[in-house]
Amino acid sequence: MDKLKGNIKIIFIIFSVLFMSLILYLTYFTAVERERLIKSSYNRRLWEQEEKVLRGTIYDSKGRPLAETGFEGGSKKRIYSGGKAIGPLIGYSDPVLGRAGIENVFNGELLGISEQDPVTLLRQKILGVSERGNDLYLTIDIDLQKTAYDLFQGRKGALAAIEPQTGRILALVSSPGYDPATAKQNWEVLSKDENNPLINRATQGLYPPGSVFKIITLASALTHNPEIENETFYTPGYIKVNGSIIRDGQHLWPGEYDLTTAFRYSSNTVFIQIGQRVEREKMISMIEAFGFNASNRSDIPIAKSTFPRPPIIGGNVEMAESFIGQGRLLSTPIQMAQVTAIIANDGKMVTPYIAEKIVSPLGTEKTTAPKMSTTQVVSPQVAEKIKALMVDVVKNGTGKAAAIRGIEVAGKTGSAENPHGQAHAWFVGFAPAENPRIAIAVVVENAGSGGAVAGPIARDVMLKYLSHVIQ
Amino acid sequence: MEPRTEAIYNKNIAITALVGILASLLLAFKEGVFSPVPLYGSLIFILILFIGHFLTNYLFPNQDPALFILCCFISQLGLIMLYRINSESALKQLIWFGIGFFLYFISSFVCRNWIEIKVGSLIFFITTAALLASPLLFGVELYGSKSWIAFDNVLFQPSEFAKITFSLFLADSLKNHKIEKPIYFFGQIFVVLALLALARDLGGAMLFYFAALTIIFAATSRWDLTALGLIGAGVAGILGYQFFGHVRVRAKAWLNPWEDVPGKGYQIVQSLFAIAEGGFFGTGLGLGRPDYIPAVTTDFIFSAFFEEFGFLGAAALIVVYFLLVYRGIKISLSIENSFLCLSALGITVFFGIQIFTIIGGVIKLIPMTGVTLPFMSYGGSSMVMSFISLGILNGIKMRASGGEADG
Repeated sequence: MDKLKGNIKIIFIIFSVLFMSLILYLTYFTAVERERLIKSSYNRRLWEQEEKVLRGTIYDSKGRPLAETGFEGGSKKRIYSGGKAIGPLIGYSDPVLGRAGIENVFNGELLGISEQDPVTLLRQKILGVSERGNDLYLTIDIDLQKTAYDLFQGRKGALAAIEPQTGRILALVSSPGYDPATAKQNWEVLSKDENNPLINRATQGLYPPGSVFKIITLASALTHNPEIENETFYTPGYIKVNGSIIRDGQHLWPGEYDLTTAFRYSSNTVFIQIGQRVEREKMISMIEAFGFNASNRSDIPIAKSTFPRPPIIGGNVEMAESFIGQGRLLSTPIQMAQVTAIIANDGKMVTPYIAEKIVSPLGTEKTTAPKMSTTQVVSPQVAEKIKALMVDVVKNGTGKAAAIRGIEVAGKTGSAENPHGQAHAWFVGFAPAENPRIAIAVVVENAGSGGAVAGPIARDVMLKYLSHVIQ
Repeated sequence: MEPRTEAIYNKNIAITALVGILASLLLAFKEGVFSPVPLYGSLIFILILFIGHFLTNYLFPNQDPALFILCCFISQLGLIMLYRINSESALKQLIWFGIGFFLYFISSFVCRNWIEIKVGSLIFFITTAALLASPLLFGVELYGSKSWIAFDNVLFQPSEFAKITFSLFLADSLKNHKIEKPIYFFGQIFVVLALLALARDLGGAMLFYFAALTIIFAATSRWDLTALGLIGAGVAGILGYQFFGHVRVRAKAWLNPWEDVPGKGYQIVQSLFAIAEGGFFGTGLGLGRPDYIPAVTTDFIFSAFFEEFGFLGAAALIVVYFLLVYRGIKISLSIENSFLCLSALGITVFFGIQIFTIIGGVIKLIPMTGVTLPFMSYGGSSMVMSFISLGILNGIKMRASGGEADG
């Protein structure tokens, strides 16, 4: 009998643990999992909220509305005033189409359902302002965005411009775009358009980076093998790697090159020689330090730029191709803007962000910018040397088309070979070189020479931005 | 009863009544215009509560008054939620509550005065088996399992009652602290589980399995058998996953409901949304969306409760359930007759496992199995069975206080 009573006590302890685990799990659930579930797009309570709440307004950095909810004949209507230039970025929110872009990512904030704090909720209920969601202020300047978009003249491509020291996204263009205001009427056409206007190419488009990637090859070589700075490299105009022949562009002649001239004229063969100097593991970790293969930390979804690791044995051809930004490397335009910003920002990496602030109906402000965690990717000295070489590219080399009178511009061009036709034209750069305010990456699909096509777009955007900033 | 304890019980009764009146006032204004129905319902409930408490205390001075107060507190929350979801079901449930109380009274009385009639374990086994087999022969299929019998319009679930007879069967078979005829005994258990499996009542089968395992452990102190039983449960789970489609569906819905939200994961995901919406403080009574939750009056009533009463309310409810289990354990510890001790334990263990399984299931701590939440879920069989079980516990308590002993 005593044994039985002892066993019953054991059973009671087990039940105590089981019931306790229910409460602990619910505590965990309510504290941690809850927020994600509330915002889940499967949650029908969201659409219900949508009907009750006046969705918040999205403003640009100067307080001009891009998307606001108004009334039309007694029913609510979302009014988009940014046009095609910002369409793929802003996206849409519609009960039939669903949600996309900023409207989707910041849905919780715009509806005001992410408020956890019951005191705030109570205040809102008492003051009767709970009928409004939060307003969202973007870092984007709609004028700059429109200027940039128009420069594409309908050609396929993308542009990303960020402030190098902070990561503020200044412009994020995807061309061709679409106007969210008419997205519903034109849905049939838009969704079937082979040019994919619905996709935001600047954050989701994955392109071979081509020669603009040489910045990373250069950074790696200057960091780990600084002696190359004083060397010259001979090239016959082609290079053999494990039997594969990689050639220089047609504008290059065989001969001796030093680092400056090789970068100025973008010599593939010399950069493969330079890249091969660096120990493979060090090269790979430098590529990853610049943001390849890294998961997104920004407040908008950005596709992962990838550098597939070559096989441990062999893989020389893949490595050689990647030194010049070809092979299996893929990058989003915003990732290349970030690479450029690292050079502009003395070797420090910042996370790009698009939400300047979120303002509640009561006027309280919340900043959502990712924590300003800066990582030193390359030393300031190396960044300074690369900057000098990039300035030279715009002054004397392939990037002349991006030069601005009176302002020193640093840049690098690229023409990325790809299986879809003519090369993609790339230009990355920043200005003013001595005190960078804007770092930019431009890609125009199948447009050929980077210097000739992408360079002028970057120049005009930088000029427009700087003429406002620098008085 | 000591005056001090009596004062505590009276205070609890008063608080329960207050909760009921406040909630019914809120519910009365639910549609925007005043409707007196919830107030009447609340008054009927409080009447039963008062009569039940004071009458049974007067007639059974040795009883455990906490059992009735605890189950009334829970039943009332269930009725409030049911009225809020579907007022018609709440009225039916109130009738079941009344019948339940009556049967609680009867079973307390019968159990107290039960003179050791020699009904062996065989009778209990046959009753259990007959109860479980009856829906297979005459039953109707509902929610994917064939465990209901329809009388006119009233659905009756014999497996609820089989829980009691199965507890008594186990207690009687094991009252000498050993398994006397192992093949015979395990054969009987196997038949019970097989009948449940045939009715495709997997939640029920799991409940009976673990209850049996717990009682066998308590009675025999056989750690080896317990370990074997747990391994057996694991193996059965794996085999079930391999061979039964619906087990696989349940397991997948548990492991990753997000894979197929509109399909397999639908129920559990809706339940989780409700719980997420509730947060720490809840939306408040009447402000949640129970209409989004499937099977909300039965399996998922806890999620609806959580949404409106929040973490604080739900944690309190879990504590009240835990107190109920605690009282049951205390009763089984208080009696020296091993048959009664094991019976009390069996009934308590059924309650405990069932509560844990269904709450754990709807919050996705464990895979979902369709069992009811005692005293809260809508359903006559569950309500009536829970009250009878509680009456038996109460009867055993009275016998313990009367000094029952036989070693």
